[in-house]
Amino acid sequence: MLPVVRAFRTHVAAWLAAVALLLVAMPGQAQLRLDITQGVRDAVPIAVVPFGGQAEGAATDVAAVIANDLRMSGRFAPLERRDMVARPTSGGEIRFEDWRLLRADFIVIGRIEADAVSFELHNVRTGASLLNQRLPLGAGGQRATAHRIADLVFERLTGIPGAFSTRIAYVAVDGRPPAQRYRLIVADADGYNPRTILESREPIMSPAWSPDGQSLAYVSFESKVSAIYVQRLASGERRRVSARAGINGAPAWSPDGRKLAVTLSREGNLDIYTLELATQALTRVTSDEAIDTEPEWSRDGQSLYFTSDRAGSAQVYRVALGEARQAERITFTNSYNARPRLSPDGKELLLVTLDRGGYRIGVLDLQSRNLRVITNARQDESPSFAPNGALVIYATRDGSRGSLAIASADGLFQQRLSSDQGDVREPAWQPFAPRG
Amino acid sequence: MQGFFHEHLRPLAGSAALHLALVGVLALAALRWSTSQPPVELAIEGYFVDGPVATRRLPDPRATPAPTAPAPAAAEVPPPQPVAEPPQERRTEDAAMAERAAEAARERKQVEERVVAEREAQQAKEQAAAQQRQAEAAERKRANEAELKRKVAEDSERKQAEAAEAKRKADEQAQAERDTKLRSEREAALQRALAEEEEGAAVARSGVVDEYRALLVQTIERNWMRPPSARAGLQCTLYVTQAPGGTVVDVKLGACNGDQAVRESITTAVYRASPLPAPRDPRAFERRLEIVFKPTE
Repeated sequence: MLPVVRAFRTHVAAWLAAVALLLVAMPGQAQLRLDITQGVRDAVPIAVVPFGGQAEGAATDVAAVIANDLRMSGRFAPLERRDMVARPTSGGEIRFEDWRLLRADFIVIGRIEADAVSFELHNVRTGASLLNQRLPLGAGGQRATAHRIADLVFERLTGIPGAFSTRIAYVAVDGRPPAQRYRLIVADADGYNPRTILESREPIMSPAWSPDGQSLAYVSFESKVSAIYVQRLASGERRRVSARAGINGAPAWSPDGRKLAVTLSREGNLDIYTLELATQALTRVTSDEAIDTEPEWSRDGQSLYFTSDRAGSAQVYRVALGEARQAERITFTNSYNARPRLSPDGKELLLVTLDRGGYRIGVLDLQSRNLRVITNARQDESPSFAPNGALVIYATRDGSRGSLAIASADGLFQQRLSSDQGDVREPAWQPFAPRG
Repeated sequence: MQGFFHEHLRPLAGSAALHLALVGVLALAALRWSTSQPPVELAIEGYFVDGPVATRRLPDPRATPAPTAPAPAAAEVPPPQPVAEPPQERRTEDAAMAERAAEAARERKQVEERVVAEREAQQAKEQAAAQQRQAEAAERKRANEAELKRKVAEDSERKQAEAAEAKRKADEQAQAERDTKLRSEREAALQRALAEEEEGAAVARSGVVDEYRALLVQTIERNWMRPPSARAGLQCTLYVTQAPGGTVVDVKLGACNGDQAVRESITTAVYRASPLPAPRDPRAFERRLEIVFKPTE
């Protein structure tokens, strides 16, 4: 009897202890676990409130420039100004609940001072202050400062450095043959402040930025035949670096800025060469009977991507430099792939691809070999990565008239840049200025 | 039973002796009353006779478990035997011869009568003895039977006691077993209940919980403006507290391998989704949420 009772009691005690433990332990465990594996790529709603201290009707609307930059990126949806119920210019004036009602996630406010612009970025949802800076006004004035603010906001919210303070180069053509006028233009990334750096009655082609963003190489027919020039933007100083018999075309800068890869037809057939700028030393890279053109350097400077029709139609190949090696074909997806441009991180190749009957911009993942088409017009050409890799600028032709357009590298967003400069072609996005 | 007899031989014998003595005394008194001859040896004779009788008559308790009706205690005093006639008076001499002859005849007759009387007495004595024996036997039988009955009763009592004890033990055992069984049943029921809590009832509830979870996931995913740096391999945990109405009242960042933009975006997503949807079954509501952001691509 006794052992039974004892056993029973022991058991009951153990059971009670277990229950008690369970009861004690449970509150700590009582939470629901959720796994979030997807999100939306919707543009993030952001309010860019007109900055204080700005004279009415001023030449530059700082908030408008910032809002436009953010909109152009495709990642932000700036709030319409007419919906803004308040115009705070300092953090203490922000009533977050108002902006939540407007469904803004973030808010940018600021004040223009005599020699600087102060701005703040707040998270409307959390009320957290994310940025609060004072930027001195530089040579570029309020517009340049506005781009700088857009860069900082973009980076804080996307993790990607903004490229709104960089510039683009492109070729504009006015008039009709034979009275045509070609201009090489450098403008702000948003298309403002266009500046002609070369004007010619003969074609200008293939502008290419030097790695430091201070010089442009381009092809000019100003002497009736093609020649390759290098021009420093700050001084306007220019130098003809290749004027060999036949075609001199498609210059591309080596990563160290000391060489150009060019396409020459000195053997009667278009082939790729490298040209050392300081010594004029020329090295032949390809010698195929087919057309090899449009070279692009790998990030390590050890190989070149280029377009060749050696397989019958244009495809992209890669060839190692320094020794005679067989070129390796890179593109297989479509019947036409041309004009390769490497992404800033070197992992993707931007190209023109014949996609469902149209020439469109594609991004080839070099590792997976997946090709994603990011534009949808019929005649898109000359793509160029923004230095942050987030955006792509390209030319899109509508009949005989070309214009510039920007697409997000993920293909979710495209926007045409308005232009009053006639037929616009061959855009090239300036690299980031080297730090220091 | 052999043991029983041996064990109780002495009291039995004692009892028999006592009875015999008693009957003897009574018979003697009766004899003295009818004749002066003391039939002293009778008691001794009876004693001798009785032993084997008692032995022979010992009933087998196994054969006769039911006690017989007790023998009547009346036969203790045997009924008095017919008394011998008184002797005749003597006659004169002349009739001496005749008388003598008559006397002789009388004597003879007396003798005869005495013999007859003696015989009758003897017969009576024998009858009394027989009766006594009978009575004794009856008494012995009765005593035996009583003893047996007592024994049987004792035995039965003992047996009853033993049985009662056994029954008690059995009952205890059964009770213990019942307890154990009941306990294990209760335990099993508890286990089942727990299991049901975990599975069954929880299954019933888990449908609701799963639904609630799906609802929350959907809501938060719709509100997560995923920055480009949120790629496969990212894993960030938020510990979220919501008020009963679903209003997000606190968000704490746990382990996170994402950049500043990712951290901002996930926190914003949760606040953006506030108030969070309510579960269909209010019991599924959970104040505290552990939200893990881990994009698959």
